[in-house]
Amino acid sequence: MLINVISWIEERLPVQSIKTFFIKKNVPRHRHSIWYYFGGMTLLFFVVQIVTGILLTFYYTPTPEKAHESVMYIVNEVPYGWLIRSLHAWSANLMIGAMFIHMFSAFLMVAYRKPRELLWVSGALLMFVVLGFGFTGYLLPWDTMAYFATLIGTEVPATMPVIGDWGVSLLKGSEEVGAETLTRMYSIHTVVLPLVSLLLVSFHLGLNQLYGASVPVGTETPRKPIPFFPNFLYRDLLSWTLGLGILIALATILPSGLGEKADPLASAPLGIKPEWYFLPLYQSLRMAPAEVFSLSGDFIVNLLVAIGCSVWLAIPFLDRKASAGRKSLPFMVLGIVLILYLITTILLAYVLP
Amino acid sequence: MRKENKQGRITRRGLLTGLLTGWATVSAIPVVSVLLRFLTPTASSAPAVESIELPDYGDIVKDSAKVVRFGKQPAIVIHTPAGQYKAFMARCTHLGCVVKYEGGEEVPRLHCNCHGSIFDLNGKNISGPAPRPLDPLRVNIKGESLVISTATRA
Repeated sequence: MLINVISWIEERLPVQSIKTFFIKKNVPRHRHSIWYYFGGMTLLFFVVQIVTGILLTFYYTPTPEKAHESVMYIVNEVPYGWLIRSLHAWSANLMIGAMFIHMFSAFLMVAYRKPRELLWVSGALLMFVVLGFGFTGYLLPWDTMAYFATLIGTEVPATMPVIGDWGVSLLKGSEEVGAETLTRMYSIHTVVLPLVSLLLVSFHLGLNQLYGASVPVGTETPRKPIPFFPNFLYRDLLSWTLGLGILIALATILPSGLGEKADPLASAPLGIKPEWYFLPLYQSLRMAPAEVFSLSGDFIVNLLVAIGCSVWLAIPFLDRKASAGRKSLPFMVLGIVLILYLITTILLAYVLP
Repeated sequence: MRKENKQGRITRRGLLTGLLTGWATVSAIPVVSVLLRFLTPTASSAPAVESIELPDYGDIVKDSAKVVRFGKQPAIVIHTPAGQYKAFMARCTHLGCVVKYEGGEEVPRLHCNCHGSIFDLNGKNISGPAPRPLDPLRVNIKGESLVISTATRA
């Protein structure tokens, strides 16, 4: 019976070529191999996000009147509701952390060089999508922090000339952060970004399957590469077990809290700060002077961020030496300075009052 | 793909490709324009609020302030240490957080907790990233109520 089913499928699907496609990938072994695990780690947390996110939508209500209450209900009444919500919140942070490690290690190993340019581009786009997930998801609990973080975040495009005000109203869906904003964020968080990210992730993984992992420039590979399937996958499974262990420990020992219900008439609470992955932007906005050469400081910060993001996306096409298989000093310096700037601003944002 | 043949004349394939591209572009215009119009919120049809009355303004003790709803937006009403009433739109002119009154022993001022902008009691931005003063409101005492109105109204 089973054999009949299998042969029925084999007659109708190109099983052999699918098998070959999945089996042919090898993973090189060398002293930097450890960094290969962080892509898979990001993927693991992404899957956790999909599962826990779908579960949360079964109870969550995206209206200003009910959002906060429905999250309270999930946390206090729904069996294991607190766990699912806490897993979703912690997995988001771990996913972003793993993604940044994956991205910067790929950068420093010059993994974006020919023929993997599109792997880099799709990965960089995924970073923007993931940050978008973080921003849109933050409002949904409708507590004080969420409300003010969104108020500030949706005002950011206002500094752009010409289309600034339109950009703000597009994000808010209204003149004020309110019901329209909440449904917009909910729709983007649960429909638009998941669809976009599934497409990008499939593309990213497909290309990775096609080209395999990149060996860093100038690295010796003394040992024989190991097949991805099943040898490296077993190792991935070990790292995933570790990742899941850390996630469950964090989610149970430090379950995510819920502030007071948002009150549009309340003053912003003292010490209000965004999530850690937006702190570099927050700290840069705080350090910027009000005006530089009659341009607003915010405008300059946002302009620099926009230029920086475009450069980051186009790195494989700007770094000419990379395609010749050589490391280029200016780009290494750029990457290290960027990493140091991000870490410094995050620390400053925590330390400064 | 060659769009012209050896005699420099447009080929049948070139013509069809051109027509198809043109058709796709023309069709995309209404789709994109409907999409953009749909996503752009319309301006509120409710008439803009020009003034509000506060019958319970006596609750605001000297050297304190209260945030009230002025139409859809928050406004801050201040009872200064000198006994005056002043009112401003409460949104920080930087990124829109609601400002907070700080009085007591220090020089009274309005502080924004989001990025640290500070305004004096005339609404003037004196430090931090705020690019301009708070939008002022007019304050009048009418009978038992404090009337707050937009400054532009005569």
